Amino acid sequence: MNEIKSLEHATLKVPYEIFNKRYRNAQRVLDVEARQVATSVSDLDATTKKGATVGEIDSLLGGMVEKLTTMKRKASEAITEEVQAAFVCKKRLEHLKEQAESLSDTSAPQAKTQINQWRKVRLDRMLVDYFLRNGYYESANKLADARDLRDLTNVDIYAAASEVEYELSLRRTARCLQWCADNRSKLRKLNSTMEFKIRIQEFIELVREDRRLEAVRYAKKHFSTFEEGQLEDIQHCMGMLAFPKDTEVEPYQSLLGSWRWDALVAQFRWEHARLLHPARLPALPVALQLGLAALNTPYPLNEITHAHTRTHTHTHIHIYTCCYKDSTKVSTCPACAAPLNALARTLPHAHVSHSRLVCRLSRLPLNEHNQPMVLPNGQVYGEKALKEMMKEHGSIICPKTKEVFCMKRVEKVYVM
Amino acid sequence: MDSCLGVEQDLDKATSKFTALNDNTNKILDDVIKQVEELRKEICKQPPNTVLSQSQTKLVNDLASSVKQTVFQLSTDHRELHATVSRVGKSIDRHFIADYAAVAPKAESFCSDTNRPIMEQAIAQHLYRQGLEEVGDTLVSEARVVNAERGSTFAQLQRCAAALTAGDPAPALAWVAAREHDLQHSPLPFVLHRMQALKLAREEGVSAAILYARAQFPAHAARHERQLQAAVCALAWCTPAAPPPPQQYAHLLDPRALGAEAAEVFVREACSLLRVAPHSPLAGAVLAGARVLPALHDIRAKMSHPHVLAAWADDELPLEVELGEEGGFGGYHSVFACPILRQQASDHNPPMRLLCGHVISRDALNKLAMGIKLKCPYCPMEQSPSEARQIYFS
Repeated sequence: MNEIKSLEHATLKVPYEIFNKRYRNAQRVLDVEARQVATSVSDLDATTKKGATVGEIDSLLGGMVEKLTTMKRKASEAITEEVQAAFVCKKRLEHLKEQAESLSDTSAPQAKTQINQWRKVRLDRMLVDYFLRNGYYESANKLADARDLRDLTNVDIYAAASEVEYELSLRRTARCLQWCADNRSKLRKLNSTMEFKIRIQEFIELVREDRRLEAVRYAKKHFSTFEEGQLEDIQHCMGMLAFPKDTEVEPYQSLLGSWRWDALVAQFRWEHARLLHPARLPALPVALQLGLAALNTPYPLNEITHAHTRTHTHTHIHIYTCCYKDSTKVSTCPACAAPLNALARTLPHAHVSHSRLVCRLSRLPLNEHNQPMVLPNGQVYGEKALKEMMKEHGSIICPKTKEVFCMKRVEKVYVM
Repeated sequence: MDSCLGVEQDLDKATSKFTALNDNTNKILDDVIKQVEELRKEICKQPPNTVLSQSQTKLVNDLASSVKQTVFQLSTDHRELHATVSRVGKSIDRHFIADYAAVAPKAESFCSDTNRPIMEQAIAQHLYRQGLEEVGDTLVSEARVVNAERGSTFAQLQRCAAALTAGDPAPALAWVAAREHDLQHSPLPFVLHRMQALKLAREEGVSAAILYARAQFPAHAARHERQLQAAVCALAWCTPAAPPPPQQYAHLLDPRALGAEAAEVFVREACSLLRVAPHSPLAGAVLAGARVLPALHDIRAKMSHPHVLAAWADDELPLEVELGEEGGFGGYHSVFACPILRQQASDHNPPMRLLCGHVISRDALNKLAMGIKLKCPYCPMEQSPSEARQIYFS
């Protein structure tokens, strides 16, 4: 099992869904065009049966040529689109293979740089994906352009979605209904209520404008074939007809609320992602959550409030005061630094069966070359750092408690 | 790698079939159009008012039925590719894990109204750190992120790194020159000078590079002897009409690879000099997460019952994952795991130092103690449990 296998399903599956959609579209185009040609064939048959003149046949054959030419053009367009979609899949696959190759041959001089580079790209891809799925389209576009990632991310696929959302936010439903129609079979399979919700909203808008008769006609047209669970909503709509548009009676007042449009945008975003993505969550929060858990420790790390100690000056005393303030905080650890520490707090912590000790002063590992030493107050530091401190100050000042000790009272600690 | 190859096979099959189908469709339709046109020309040789002869009618009818058959055949041909298309989808499902979030049930909570702003604040800070101010600003306004620091420490570093990736070592060299003393033991100055020398060789000729090398390389000769030799040898392939270089010099002569490597060394060394993490917290956590994920999927696959999920209900990950050195992990915290209980110490179960110096956790100590007597599990020393002392690693 590796990182690619467990994290990159959507990277390939989303363009595949586009490929599949284009395939079905091409099939429809071919069927329609073939039927067009077939009608011209039967026209020809009918005419010849009656006994036709050369002039008639000429124009009928001309019509047939025209239809064949249209078919050729449309078929070629549709199939080229399919092939293009397949090549997007291919391109992403190549990108994944790059990583797999450098992982399998780590001896090459550039392998490490390549892997790191690839991981950087992966983070950018995750970010773009996260932005898209949360509707931050401009950020997604800018990031994709800045890092040259248009092919490896879904920004172009989401372009249509962002337009639909924009239209919805302007209270225009045509694009959204079009989208529902384009994806009707899939939406039905997912039990989507998108189209029904839009219809309800259009009815509400008619009532809002006091075009009640039109509203009734609209209801006749669209609500007559309702599905299970929709009856109550329809009844509410119908009940609304009896009330003035500034009514304070529930549920009719809330039906007229403008928040319903925001809810429609949110629902569309959700349904759109549901069609495209097999996984419910973007990869970013998943990886982030597991990563924070893996770096988490059972000690409370977040008692410290500020993170201003990043710019250390080089005097030791200053570093000590910093460490004193944030006694358990390590500025480089993602799980301790604000703002992510707030998220890490709620997570499980890493499972560790072997101690892994680091000197808080020097950041060097504690092992047989740098013995852990305990001060009389119980604080453990590395031998090297303590010796250095002796050289500089002639005594040991515990950075945490500011107590002063002499080297004689410092004892060794054996950690198995 | 296997998973990529598996999908690639099916995908390649699909693309080649579609390309062939496209050509075929075009060709067949062209032929049909030509046939119809020819028949039309043939018939039009007669004056328009004459009635068609029996043989001509037959010709027209035959052609018409063959045209009909052909176009329907085309649509059928295309329909038959459905299996190929859906095989690609199935192949992706088989070779990759669709439900990667199954092992991270708490990830959902990151998208909640309280946690999402925190995550997005971290994202915005990450973008600023990467020198992507514009993207960061856009996100801040689109997602209404509050108090994302724009910290300037990294902007300069990222500018230098970006210039390196683009092949220009000048800003990084200036940055290094100002901190020469602190970088005495760092490979960074050598990497940058080497890059500059090879750049000169490419742009101004080998003699310029040699002049530069004479001025800059001696200071690094002691520490980077072999690499220095390689760099100077590589100059031999920098003349305009040089044959392709041998394998061991290839990466030195590839400006893109060299730039990427230099940028990486630069960020690493500069960050360690400034005592900041080379990754943003977001990048570091995601990197760690990506390493944990496969391992969790592994045990999920191996355990038939939902043990993994049960393990999540606990407050500890169900397994230990080596995060590796390259991410700068392993050095964030001291983690004390009791050698007896094989468990991470916590506030309720802190590390205790026995009189002999060995350290075990308090729970282990209580279990091992026999009344007022305790024998150290690692050495022959006998002592009283009350003589053990709590110690602090962090």
